[in-house]
Amino acid sequence: MTASAITRPGERDRLIVKLAQIDWTFTLVLCLIAATGAAMLYSISGLSWEPWAAKHLVRFGLCLCLMIFLATVDVRIWFISAYPVYGFGLLLLIAVEIMGDVSLGAQRWLDLGFVRLQPSEIMKIGLVLALARFYHGLSAEAARFSWRLVVPVVLIAMPTLLVAHQPDLGTAVLLAATGGAVMVLAGLSLRVVAALAVSVAAAIPPFVMFVLHDYQRNRILTFLNPEADPSGSGYHILQSKIALGSGGLLGKGYGLGSQSQLNFLPEKHTDFIFATLAEEFGFVGCISVLLLYAAAITIALRIASISHSHFGRLGAAGVTATFALYVMINGAMVMGLAPVVGVPMPLLSFGGTVMLTVMIGFGLVQSVRVHRYSEITSGRGTLL
Amino acid sequence: MSEPSIFFSEVNERQGVFNRRAFLMGGLAGGGILALGGRLAQLQLLEFDRYRLMSTENQFNFRLIPPPRGRILDRFGVELASNRPNFRVLLVRDEINDIDATLDALSQLIPITPERRRQLLREISRSPKLVPVAVAEDLTWEEFSRVNVRTPELPGVTADMGEARVYPHGGAFAHVVGYVAKVSDRDVAAAGLNPDPLLHHPGFRIGKQGVEKALDTVLRGKSGAVKTEVDALGREVRKDPEGDIKPIAGKTVVLSLDADVQSRALEVLGENSGACVVMDVQSGDLICMASAPSFDANQFVRGLTSAEYRALSEYERRPLLDKALSGTYPPGSTFKPMTALAALDSGMVNPNETVVCSGQMWFGNRFFHCWKRGGHGSQTMHDAIKNSCDIYFYQTALKIGPDRIARVAEAFGLGQTFDIGISGQKAGLVPSTAWKRRQYKQPWYPGESLSFGIGQGALSANALQLAVMTARLANGHKALNPRLIKSIGGVETPSGAAAADLPFKPEHMDLVRSGMAAVANDTTGTAYRASQLGLGPVLMAGKTGTAQVRVISRAERASGVRSNDSLPWHLRDHALFVAFAPYDAPRYALSIIVQHGGGGAAVAAPMAREIMRVVLLKDAAIRARIESPLPMPEAPVSTTGEVEGEAPPPPSDTLLPDAAPTVSGGPTQ
Repeated sequence: MTASAITRPGERDRLIVKLAQIDWTFTLVLCLIAATGAAMLYSISGLSWEPWAAKHLVRFGLCLCLMIFLATVDVRIWFISAYPVYGFGLLLLIAVEIMGDVSLGAQRWLDLGFVRLQPSEIMKIGLVLALARFYHGLSAEAARFSWRLVVPVVLIAMPTLLVAHQPDLGTAVLLAATGGAVMVLAGLSLRVVAALAVSVAAAIPPFVMFVLHDYQRNRILTFLNPEADPSGSGYHILQSKIALGSGGLLGKGYGLGSQSQLNFLPEKHTDFIFATLAEEFGFVGCISVLLLYAAAITIALRIASISHSHFGRLGAAGVTATFALYVMINGAMVMGLAPVVGVPMPLLSFGGTVMLTVMIGFGLVQSVRVHRYSEITSGRGTLL
Repeated sequence: MSEPSIFFSEVNERQGVFNRRAFLMGGLAGGGILALGGRLAQLQLLEFDRYRLMSTENQFNFRLIPPPRGRILDRFGVELASNRPNFRVLLVRDEINDIDATLDALSQLIPITPERRRQLLREISRSPKLVPVAVAEDLTWEEFSRVNVRTPELPGVTADMGEARVYPHGGAFAHVVGYVAKVSDRDVAAAGLNPDPLLHHPGFRIGKQGVEKALDTVLRGKSGAVKTEVDALGREVRKDPEGDIKPIAGKTVVLSLDADVQSRALEVLGENSGACVVMDVQSGDLICMASAPSFDANQFVRGLTSAEYRALSEYERRPLLDKALSGTYPPGSTFKPMTALAALDSGMVNPNETVVCSGQMWFGNRFFHCWKRGGHGSQTMHDAIKNSCDIYFYQTALKIGPDRIARVAEAFGLGQTFDIGISGQKAGLVPSTAWKRRQYKQPWYPGESLSFGIGQGALSANALQLAVMTARLANGHKALNPRLIKSIGGVETPSGAAAADLPFKPEHMDLVRSGMAAVANDTTGTAYRASQLGLGPVLMAGKTGTAQVRVISRAERASGVRSNDSLPWHLRDHALFVAFAPYDAPRYALSIIVQHGGGGAAVAAPMAREIMRVVLLKDAAIRARIESPLPMPEAPVSTTGEVEGEAPPPPSDTLLPDAAPTVSGGPTQ
C-alpha cells in the first residue's frame, strides 16, 4: 500500500486502506507499555494473573479494539460530535453536582460493563474536542490574543470548577492544564502565558492556605517535608522513595521487590506501580519505560503536525498533552517531586477509567493520522 | 518520511504557529522526562545505599531474644535465684490502630481490671512507639493459649513465652542476693549513650540490690535475635534461621552462703530486727549473712503496688535495709576482747593482776557503773571477760589509752569495708585521738576512753565486721578477709584466707579466747546457759554484748533501772553476741545483732546457739566428731525439738572445773 492511495478521496474511504494508515509503531509502543504494566501486576500479586494482571490485559485488548475502531471514524465525525460530547460531559458533571454526594454516592461512576467511567473522564476528551473545534474556525491573529478567547476560557473553566468542587483536585488540575496546553498550541501569545504563569504562581500560597480542604493541604505540606511524620501522611512518599532508591541500577529482580511484595508500598498496583517497576528493574528498567513514553509522545505530536486540518492538529496534540501530563505528574509524585494527588501512570497502572480515556484519546490521534488529508472546510463537516 | 504531505499541506500562519508550539511542547515533555530520569539517577544510583538500608530495615525484623539470666547458687548448689517460665501478652502500639478496641478484645480473653487498664494506657502512651508493653504476665497456660490462638486477628498483640526471675527462698536472701525489678529511667540513663537494647524489652528485669545488682552484667548474658521477614503490617512472612543470633545465657554465680543456715538464721531472728553473719574461720567464706525482718524478693520482680512499698518502707524495723552490712551499732561488750588484747599487747597490763570491782567508780565528775550493781569483786583479765566486768575494762582502757585499742580494733577489721563483691557496706567508726582532733577539733577526754573500753561511745560496727573480728580472733594468726562470691561461671574467686598475719602474739590471743570460752562454758559465764550447743564434745566460745541506746539518769539508777520490756521498742538495748566453734579447733565464727532486742545473753546468745548448731551439724568433719561414741559419757542429745532457752545438760568438759548447775538469772552482759 502506498501513501498515494489515501490521497484519492474514493480510495481512502475503504476500510482496508484506513487500517493500513493506522500508525502501527505507535500502537506497538502502547502495547509494550501496557504489557509492562501487566508484567508488574503479575509480579506484585505474587506471580499470579489474579487479581490484576489478567484483567489489565483484557481491558487493554478491548481498549485497543476501541482505539482501532475510533481510528477508522472519519475525523469530520469527531469534528461534528465535539460540542455534543463536551455538552454531554458537562451535563453529567452538573448532575453530579446537583444531586450531590449523598444521592449519587457511588453512582458518581457510569458502569459500562467492562469498565466504569466518571463524567470527569469524559470531560478530558470532551474539552480537547471542544477547544479544537473552536480554534478550527479562529484565525491565527484572534488565537494570539483577542476578546474571542473568552470562549475557550469559559470552556475550560466550567468543567474545571465543577470537578474541583467534587472535590477532585488532581483531575481539575489536569483539565485546566490540558486546556491551557491547547490554547498555547493554538497560538496564545507567549507574553500572556508568562503573565498568567506569574499570577498563578503568586496565587498558589493563599489558595493552599485558605481554599483547600484540610486533607488536601496536609498532602501538600507533607510533600514539602515528608520525613516529618514517616508513619503518618509522609508514609506514602517515603516508602515510594525507598522502593525506587533500593532498586539501584538493575533492580532487585522480577518478583523480588520487598517494598511492593510486602505491602510497604501503598497503592502499589495503581498510582505507585512505577515504584514497583523501579524496585524490581532498577534504573535501567525505569529509563526504558520512560523512553517508551517519550516515544509515544513524540509520535503523537508528529501525527498532529502532519494533519491538514487545524481541528485534527489541536485535537491530537491536546490528547498528547493530557497523556504527557499524566506521565509527568505521576512520575514526579512517585519520585517525591510532587504531592500525592492520585494521578495514575497511564497504561502502566491498573485501572480501567484512565486506560479508557487515554485509548479513546489515542483513537482520535490515530483517526487524525488516518484522515490527515481530509479537509474540514467550515464550521460543519463536509460529510453530512 | 516518504509521504508526500508537503505537497498538500496548507501552508498558512496557523500551521506555522502550531508546528512551532508543538515543537516547544515536545521539548517541554522531553525536558520533563529528562528531569524524571535525573531524579531516578539521584535516587537509584547516588542514594542507593541509603535506601537499600531502609528497605532492609523495612523488610526484616530483628526480634530480640532475652538470654536466660544466670542462676545464683549456694555453696552446695541449692538455687537461690533461678528462672521460671512466664506466659505473658505483649502489645506494640505502632502496629495498633485502635488501642481501646484491642484492649476490649483482649479483656474478653484475659482478665483486665479497669484499674489495670488505666495503668496500661498510661504505660502505653509513655513508652516509645516500637517498644512492646506487657499487658499481662504470669498467665495460666489456658489464658496464654486463648490469646495465642487469636493473635492473627489482633495485630500488634503477641503471646510471649518468656522467663521470670524467681527466688525460691522468698525473703531469706532478699538483701544479699538482692532482686531484679523493672528497668527505671535512671537505669537507662546510667547505661550510657548506647544502652543494651535489652533494657527496653518488656520482660527484662535489672538487678537492683545485692549480688543481682553487683554482678548484673555477668548474670544478664548476651541477647540473641530472630531474623524474620515481615510485611508492612508487621506480620511475619518468613523466618530466616541463618540470620538468627543465639542468646548467650548469663553465667552461674555460686555464693559461699549455705541456704540451710541462712534460712535458720532468719527463722531464729523471727520478728526481731537484726542481722547475723557466719564466717568460716579458715577460708573466710561467709556461710550466712542474714538481715531481719526481710521481705519477699519475688514481689519486686512483678512490681510492688505503692501500698505494698509504703508498708515496707515505713515499717519501724526497716525490712528494706540490709542490717548485716549497712546497719552499724555500738558493739558493746562484744568489743571487750579487743580491749583485752590491746592491754596484753601494750605490755602495760599483767593479765593475772586483779582489779577490784565495787559496782561503780568515780571518774572525772561522775560515777561510771558496772552492769552488776553489787560489783564483781576482785577480777583478773580472764574473770573480767567471763563476767564482762565493766570496771576492769574502764580501768584498763584508761591505762592504755584509746589509740592502742583503736589499732587492735582496726587490725581486726573494724572501721573498714571489705571487698565482698556487693555494695552497701557502712564502715562504722573506730574512734581515736587523731579522729577526735580531725572530727571535732578537740582533744580526747579520758572519760571517753572508759566508754570506748566497753565498746560504747563513738565506736560503731556492723555485723559483718563483728564476724570478721571474731573469725580473725578464732583463726588466731591470719587477718582473714570475708568472701561471699565463691565462683562466677565456674571460675573460682580468690579465697579470703590469702591474707597477712595478725601482728599479735598467739599466747595473748589464747588468753582472750579462753576468756570467751569461759563466757559460754563456765557455769558463771555470762552466757553459760544460752551457749550450750548440746553437741557433745563440740563447744562454743563467745562474748555477749548489751549496748545501751539511752542515758540512764542518776535518779533512775537510784530507783531501779527500768527493764527493757517496760521501754518503748526504740529505747531498748541492742542485744549482741559473737561466737566461734568448736572452741578447741575453731572452724566457724558468728556475730549476731538484735536491734533493741534487750540483753545479749538473754536474747542474742540463744539465737546464736541455734544458728551455730545448724552450721556445725552441716560440717561433715564436725558431725563425725560429735557422733563418735568414744569419749561420750552421755547419749547424744537430739538436735531437734529443743526448746529455746531450756537449760541443756551440763557438759563434761575439762575446761569447767566446777560443774555446779547454778545459773544466775536476770539480765547479764
